[in-house]
Amino acid sequence: MRAAADLRRGPARWALVLPLVIFLGVFFLVPVALMGVFSFRPSLRGGVANWDWDPVLDHYRTIAASESFLPLLGKSVLIALLVGVVATTLAYPVAYFLAFRAGRKAGLLLTILIIPFWVSYLLRIISWKVLLGPTGAINSFLAWLGLIDQPVTILLYSRTAVVITLVYVWLPFVALPIYATMLRIDRRLLEAASNLGAPPATAFRRVTLPLSLPGVAAAFLMVFIPTVGEYVAPLLVGGSQGALYGNIIEIFFGDGINWPLGSALAMVMAVGILALLFVLTRTRPVRRLLDDL
Amino acid sequence: MANRLRGPILVTLILVVVACGGDAATTTAPSSVTTAAAGATTAAGATTAATGTGELSVLEWAFYEVPEMWVEFGEAHPEVTPVFNFGASDPDIFAKYLAGSGEDIVHFYTPYLRFYVDEGLIQPIDTSKLSNWSKVPPLFADSCTIDGTVYCVPWDWGFTSLLYNTDMIPEVTSWEALFDDAYAGHVSTYDCGDCAVNIAGALLGYDPTNLSPEQLEEIKQLYIDQKPNVLFYWADEPTLEAGFTDESIWLAYAWNGAYYRLLNAGLPVAYADPVEGRESWIGQYGISAETENYDLALEFLDGKLGEQTGTNLLVDYAYGHVVPDYFGAVTDENLVTALSLDDPTVLDRTNFTPQISREQLEEYVAMWAEVQASS
Amino acid sequence: MRRRWGLPSYYTFLAILLYVPIAILFLFAFNDGTALSFPIQGFTLEWYRSMFDNEQLLGAARSSVGVAMGTATVATALGTGAALAFLRFDFPGKQALAAAAMLPLLVPFLILGVSLLILFSALDIPRSLLTVGVGHTVIAIPYTLLVMGARLADFPASMEEAARDLGATYPYTLRRVLIPILAPAMISAWLLAFTVSIDEFVIASFMIGREPTLPVYIFGQLRFANRFPQVVALSTVVIVLSVGLLLLAERLRRIGSARVAARAEG
Repeated sequence: MRAAADLRRGPARWALVLPLVIFLGVFFLVPVALMGVFSFRPSLRGGVANWDWDPVLDHYRTIAASESFLPLLGKSVLIALLVGVVATTLAYPVAYFLAFRAGRKAGLLLTILIIPFWVSYLLRIISWKVLLGPTGAINSFLAWLGLIDQPVTILLYSRTAVVITLVYVWLPFVALPIYATMLRIDRRLLEAASNLGAPPATAFRRVTLPLSLPGVAAAFLMVFIPTVGEYVAPLLVGGSQGALYGNIIEIFFGDGINWPLGSALAMVMAVGILALLFVLTRTRPVRRLLDDL
Repeated sequence: MANRLRGPILVTLILVVVACGGDAATTTAPSSVTTAAAGATTAAGATTAATGTGELSVLEWAFYEVPEMWVEFGEAHPEVTPVFNFGASDPDIFAKYLAGSGEDIVHFYTPYLRFYVDEGLIQPIDTSKLSNWSKVPPLFADSCTIDGTVYCVPWDWGFTSLLYNTDMIPEVTSWEALFDDAYAGHVSTYDCGDCAVNIAGALLGYDPTNLSPEQLEEIKQLYIDQKPNVLFYWADEPTLEAGFTDESIWLAYAWNGAYYRLLNAGLPVAYADPVEGRESWIGQYGISAETENYDLALEFLDGKLGEQTGTNLLVDYAYGHVVPDYFGAVTDENLVTALSLDDPTVLDRTNFTPQISREQLEEYVAMWAEVQASS
Repeated sequence: MRRRWGLPSYYTFLAILLYVPIAILFLFAFNDGTALSFPIQGFTLEWYRSMFDNEQLLGAARSSVGVAMGTATVATALGTGAALAFLRFDFPGKQALAAAAMLPLLVPFLILGVSLLILFSALDIPRSLLTVGVGHTVIAIPYTLLVMGARLADFPASMEEAARDLGATYPYTLRRVLIPILAPAMISAWLLAFTVSIDEFVIASFMIGREPTLPVYIFGQLRFANRFPQVVALSTVVIVLSVGLLLLAERLRRIGSARVAARAEG
């Protein structure tokens, strides 16, 4: 009989893992590194494949010197935090209901929540344009009630509209990881709490809530990361005031034909996100949460 | 796994297990549906497959791909089915072409001509092979000429001016209105950095081809101050026209096509004749430096200058065509108004979009990005 | 009785909130007018008829399905292999590799999109549906890896070890023991990767060549008000058929389990 340790070291292990390593290396790590390299390129002149240039820090200087780029990154991060917190908070009670109260109907009720997700992401954004627009559902309804005689244009085309739309887009998705985590909570713990005389609220606070936090964290991340880089919703419902940092990056890759500056802006965002996540995982509550996993 | 990443990885793991384990059936459904749709496409597609032997590809703006926009070529070469690929804007088309999309013909507008020439993307036009070239007036022919060499065939042109709702605001006589706080919340302007510089340049008396950093800074400040007044920056005409239709927009930077369509819709709109002059743009076609179909491409462009195509452009889309001989075909009163065909002196007071350098474009777009980012 | 009614009411409220915007949007699939604005003009089925003549729309849908299927297949194969390597084998750098494979989840798609744009442009590789698929595979890999990893972690290695103790080669063990056991999880992973790809817009918009995927086509159509209701109409068809298939699957499952129960009794 061969030792288990031998079985864990056959040549098969490389055949299994190398395709993935090569794929992600070539199509993920190399491109991101290349973007980093491009951020030091003076300009795109001579074509994308031109390597005859000396690295410069100009683009990072431009970003640092700009009165609006870094503040917008800060605002975008705050908006992403807001969207993440609101979406998770709204979804939490639903996940709780499905996991602990809905019984056998939970699967059906969950599916009902997920169905809107089959409508294209772009159409779900557009649907808010139809709701909030000057001749949209809300304005038409208010006018019909006689409450307004001129459409309220501020509903659409504002940062609030961007936040509402993004929360809406993410909401059904966010309930999933929280629900999943709650399903894994050992019901005997709750029974024990109840048997020991803990009122339901206390049981929730001391047992359910802490044990469901990993799902909440996953849900939050799933919203936070894409929202920091979001540029489509601001384009469609943001109006003149709604631009996020992602829109600026998009401008330089599209309109500006200034990929180096766009690369530098993207690098700043990527490093910013990773740094923020790193700091978050260092804070004591998150630290404790991770240790419990 | 690395301790540090264990947390995030585990939570994502939990998420995914439910996402698929819980409802595998839900995720199957969309695939089958779209497969059915794909089956339908195959059936429909068979009838429209290219039948000819020749091939010609065009990087084009949407709407210009319809056969009405290349009537003469279609009649002369029924065996050729041109393939159209699309870009959404000048920068988009330039970026695609620069990245090697490789169409035989590319459609761009005046400020971009020089970039295509500088990057060696297009080649000179042998105008002796264009039977219709003599009908193109110097104003338009010159827009395609750099140092005596013709690099493109001009085709469509139009105005840029201030479109406004006459019920809501009094007569507009200057580009200054675009920056007037009185219309706060009801203004829209085109989402385009170099276009913004052109307007501000006309207003402030600066030359867009030769701006000092201080002047550019002043222009940036002008647009930052304007920002609270702007409801949205438009990127496509339907959005702008919808704004006029629902009366959320009273005043906008607009092309004459939008003016024409809103006139036809019966809206109370007018198109300003500002003291600083209207702006105007010219659309041009270049031929790829690497094309294998140079002669065929020339024929296509010659057909673009033909009477039927020219008339269709005027009548169907309300844009100008570079051959003035065809203007007579326009009888629609709204169209005559929209193109100012009844007043030839308008063209004399019009500023045609200047050719700027790539560095200038980058600066102007960076300025515009700062305007977008500010608040 | 707050406890009994509070949560169901909240669930109902949220579900309504999720459906109302879509329901209102769907009105315009039947609206006799092109603008997505009130008041509604009148009832028509024209958009459903013209939708099937719109070859670009259907072609885009076909492209999306093709890309999603390719993405799902490659990502599942790579994810399954790597999950086996990570959970059943030891090799240097394993921890770091496993962590690195998750990184695409922590980077906004915008960054992935533009960096792949730079890569393919620098290599002079023209963009196409293939490059869209490559981008989608990068973001689908973490998901397939997680699904397969979770499944492998749930059952012990004893079966494979037994097979190999009996002298089976690894490829034989893989084919005859592991893949049959892992098949349901692989289907889950495949479907998940499929859904990640089919509605993805950002990476696709940077990677797209001449043929658009459905989301890229939809975005382009925003500037052509006159055909947009067709897009809404297609979306209603997708939803209705999806729900129909879902109900059918549920019914088949019930019939299946009833038969099993009947046989057990008989």
